[in-house]
Amino acid sequence: MSDAIRIRRLAKTYGGLLVLGGFDLTVRRGEILVLLGPSGCGKTTVLRLIAGLEVPDAGTIEVDGQAVSGPGVMVPPERRRVGMVFQEYALFPHLTVAQNIAYGLTRGTEDPSRVTELLEVVGLRGLEDRMAYELSGGQQQRVALARAMAREPLVVLLDEPFSNLDADLRQQLREEMREILQRTHTTAVFVTHDQEEALQIGDQVAVLNRGSVEQIGTPEEIYQQPRTRFIATFLGRADFLSATVTRDGLLTEIGRIAQRVPLAEGTAVDVLVRADDVALASGDGGTVISRLFKGMQNVYRVKLRSGRVVQSLQDHTVRYAIGSSVRVIVDPGHPLVCFPNGEAILAEMVPDPEPAR
Amino acid sequence: MRYLLVVLVGLTLLPGSLGSATAQAATLTVYSGRTRELIEPLFAQFMKATGIQVRVRYGETAELAATILEEGQNSPADVYFAQDAGALGALAYAGRLRRLPDGVLQKVESRFQSSDGAWVGVSGRARVVVYNTRRLTARDLPASLQDFTHPRWRGRIGWAPTNGSFQAHVTALRLLWGNERTKQWLTAIKANGARAYRNNTAIVAAVGTGEVDVGFVNHYYLFGFIRERGQAFPARNYYFPGADAGNLVNAAGAGVVDSSRNQAAALQLVQYLLSEDAQRYFSNQTFEYPLVSGVPASPLLLPLSQIKTPKIDLNHLQALEQTLKLLREAGIL
Amino acid sequence: MATAVPGLGSLGRQAVERRPAAPPLVWVPALLVAGAALLPIAYLIVRAAGADEGIWLLLLSPRTFRLFINTVLLGAAVAATAILIAVPAAWLTVRTDLPGASAWRVLTVMPLVVPSYVGAFVLITVLGPTGILQAALERLWGVTRLLDIYGFFGAWFTLSLFTYPYVLLSVRAGLRGIDPAIEEASRALGQSGWTTFRRVTLPLLRPSIGAGALLVLLYVFSDFGAVSMMQFDSFTTAIYLQYQASFNRSYAAALSLVLVALTVLVVVLEGRQSRVRYHRIGSATARLPRRVHLGQWTRPALLFLAAIATVGVVMPVGVVTYWLVVGLRHGDSILVSLRPAINSITASVLSALLTVAAAMPVAVLSVRFRGRLSTAITRVSYAGYALPGIVVALSLVFFAARYVVPLYQTLALLVFGYMILFLPQALGPLRSALLQVSPAQEESARTLGRTAREVALTITVPLARSGVVAGAALVFLTTMKELPATLLLSPIGFDTLATRVWSAATEGFFSRAAVPALLLLLASSLSVGLLLSQERNRWRDE
Repeated sequence: MSDAIRIRRLAKTYGGLLVLGGFDLTVRRGEILVLLGPSGCGKTTVLRLIAGLEVPDAGTIEVDGQAVSGPGVMVPPERRRVGMVFQEYALFPHLTVAQNIAYGLTRGTEDPSRVTELLEVVGLRGLEDRMAYELSGGQQQRVALARAMAREPLVVLLDEPFSNLDADLRQQLREEMREILQRTHTTAVFVTHDQEEALQIGDQVAVLNRGSVEQIGTPEEIYQQPRTRFIATFLGRADFLSATVTRDGLLTEIGRIAQRVPLAEGTAVDVLVRADDVALASGDGGTVISRLFKGMQNVYRVKLRSGRVVQSLQDHTVRYAIGSSVRVIVDPGHPLVCFPNGEAILAEMVPDPEPAR
Repeated sequence: MRYLLVVLVGLTLLPGSLGSATAQAATLTVYSGRTRELIEPLFAQFMKATGIQVRVRYGETAELAATILEEGQNSPADVYFAQDAGALGALAYAGRLRRLPDGVLQKVESRFQSSDGAWVGVSGRARVVVYNTRRLTARDLPASLQDFTHPRWRGRIGWAPTNGSFQAHVTALRLLWGNERTKQWLTAIKANGARAYRNNTAIVAAVGTGEVDVGFVNHYYLFGFIRERGQAFPARNYYFPGADAGNLVNAAGAGVVDSSRNQAAALQLVQYLLSEDAQRYFSNQTFEYPLVSGVPASPLLLPLSQIKTPKIDLNHLQALEQTLKLLREAGIL
Repeated sequence: MATAVPGLGSLGRQAVERRPAAPPLVWVPALLVAGAALLPIAYLIVRAAGADEGIWLLLLSPRTFRLFINTVLLGAAVAATAILIAVPAAWLTVRTDLPGASAWRVLTVMPLVVPSYVGAFVLITVLGPTGILQAALERLWGVTRLLDIYGFFGAWFTLSLFTYPYVLLSVRAGLRGIDPAIEEASRALGQSGWTTFRRVTLPLLRPSIGAGALLVLLYVFSDFGAVSMMQFDSFTTAIYLQYQASFNRSYAAALSLVLVALTVLVVVLEGRQSRVRYHRIGSATARLPRRVHLGQWTRPALLFLAAIATVGVVMPVGVVTYWLVVGLRHGDSILVSLRPAINSITASVLSALLTVAAAMPVAVLSVRFRGRLSTAITRVSYAGYALPGIVVALSLVFFAARYVVPLYQTLALLVFGYMILFLPQALGPLRSALLQVSPAQEESARTLGRTAREVALTITVPLARSGVVAGAALVFLTTMKELPATLLLSPIGFDTLATRVWSAATEGFFSRAAVPALLLLLASSLSVGLLLSQERNRWRDE
């Protein structure tokens, strides 16, 4: 069985500015792939190229094994069987909800039951005859999804579909949409700049930077084993500690971290520590400089002697006063990522006879 | 959208094709610079009398002349019916009017026709001074056009320098007075604060309201106002008593267009315009002067024979270029 | 990565920025329309080429220069005045709690239905030195003469009064298109209502004001009726004079080409405005703007609008009715024939349909596929509008009588002529409407399996409906009033209300002119009604 989407050596420039270069990507059937990256990284361009709304400068795109863009080939968007949900929804304001959804269905054979079915899927039964502009933002978003899915496309493309919604609704819709896409076995490519969203929704996450894929993997892989500092920084609160490789662990200014790295002893590395890897205890070594209250949790920023700052995630009941001295402990319970000088290396946990705490 | 366009095109072509289908040989096309209001009944009578269908395009005299010139040999026009001799002269000059038979020409005094027989005058219109009867009596008016340069007429005169009939009059002045004197007169009238109206109707209306006290116009416009507003309309025409340059009689006339394929019928129409019926119509309905002898002018008018006109050949009235130049030099146009 | 992509065709590579090249469905008709708009210019060049040396004397004469300046000054003054009337009137009728706002919305547009030659005549009748007003004042206080209305003042006054609705309609649509959140943001940033209007609303309205003012300015260039009645010499007067007095078509053509050059200059200057994004950015849901409470300003506002309506609507209808009554009292027989009314409406409806259909591809091209070609086509389409009707009419006489004889003097040719004359009136509203349609809506329709053509028909055109209706109504109104082209190009015997009014009025038969004039005003008012019902819907939609 062929992949849903195969992109090879894709390139696109706008007005002399390279947006994509040598871009490769494969999306498997039934999978939700998230394209994650900062704004301007070219992720929306990838979607538009897949949809056929843009003509690539070079490279090929295959959808369901068929070349749709490439040398001598440019299948128009309407013949690609690719559905798209736009950031601004782009509902047709002159049509009702039902007409919006039925728009893509073959004329003359619009099956009313298909529209009903889709409304059912997105939970909008009863709103068939509303005009698109009479809906709330979240409802509009669901109509946009139903409309994109109406033709049973091979792939659904979603371009930052939640960016116009408030936080609660966004959270709710994320879960809903993931559930809908999975239930209907729909292949989807989802673009976002929000790492939290990417990790939640994706079966696979591809992190884009400067026009190419920097890393692709499951959300866990991407989060726990970022291949580059860029990815590490982009996904969640990332701090780095300078460390020296020793035989039984990494030596840092806050003490030894019992993880082994396959590098020569004495090599200097930067160790990635996230807020949830960092524990605090009474003692000294660091000074609390700020607290970010996040409801269930607090994020403390602690300044070390060297001047470096690390963050620590604490339960909301744990309180440290600003300015108080704390001891900083790194005991993640999973292998840490080290950056010797570029490419990341995964450390290996060593059983520690004396766990810190 | 394409279907809409097809329907549209079909629709728009419909009246045209119907029109040409009914356009049998016995259909005449007239381009008339004279308005429907005045002339339509004449054509109706002609159709009734001869069975020849007449289709008329009404428009401005000069614009219709320009149209015939642009149409070239494909012109649908058979007869051109103009307000003034100037436009007829322009068409004749371009060779677009066919010489009329002597039998037609003989009916009208030679001063009211083209010297080469290209057109014939069918009704006469006198240049007059229309005056406001609340402000003036005929006795207050001067003996000559020349006298309107007097300061006592300052700001009281209306004229229409862009109007064909006025320009024809200026041409006549040039022939009578010479360019220099004409220019002096024009300059003096302008300096006397004459107001430039768009046309004769506007002048008569302005004289009626007293906006100006006198105006240089063709004689018959007044009667339209009287018909509408009654005898109380406070304006009347004034003719100069002597053979003054102010007394010019111009002619509205007709000619047969050279490209006409209905020469015979066209000629019939021209002849009809010179028939007693038509001449009476001009006399009674449009208050113009009939040009064929034997038909009396309206009793409201000073008879043509009593208008003492200096000798002018209307054929020269097409020589407008010089006139326009003079008007420009005098700063009027 | 400038690798050549074989097989994509040259159009593919020309594509500017994010937009693909225009499909043939768009650029082929657009090119045809541009070709049609170029016909009068081609004719003028043919004719001007035949001019003798005297033409240079004429073109370079001080008088020609003076007329040129006259025309430019008049145009600028009228456009400026139209803006000064239209912007407050638009704001008052759209954004405030003005009493009777919906009635004012209709009344303020009504002056548009008055032909400028009728308007000028009415103003002279009422406000002239010895007009009705003077007669009334004489009875009261012995005023024997009013200030002179003739000349620049009269022409300016008449044209401003009867053309400002072009700006008004455009600005109203613009006001409705502004997301109130933008203005609210300015208020939240501590700016007063007035400052917000000046610094936010007005700049956002600039394209609407510009589009409307362009229509006004070019209308002034082409107008003969009002300026000649008001005894003001403009460039168009000079062109008419060449036809009417000297029968010199070459001189007239050369003068007309100067007018074309002036038009191109104006259109280019107007086009240099900043490229504002119209369609909403971000949030897909927009709210209705909050109504501004006028409070103590209610009375001055009502006074302002009442003054405009009195002079622009009540006076013309009153005077025309007065003619009718006077004529009837003196036993003039008045025949009410419906034929001219039917003809007028038929021709105007066809003209509106064809003009909008022709403007659509040009508008799509200029909004969606910016580039040199699209700019050129858009600008060319303004040529016919600024030319006096007689010039466009004669150019079609020239081409049709020579090359397409079967079409000559058919309704088809007449409607085609109207299209050339009035294209910009449809183009403006269409462009504004299209600018408010987000490209994403079209793209999303493409991804839903519809071809470019289907998308145009099912999405773009319906979404631009307000523009379609506004453009069609404007063209309809202007066609109803049109005279010179109708006289020369119509099928023989095809009388319209406008030709009837002209025919009677030139002979001084004002009472006979009254019936067709009133019918003209009535039929046109109905069209204004249609125009405004559309406006109201849009308002609710948002």
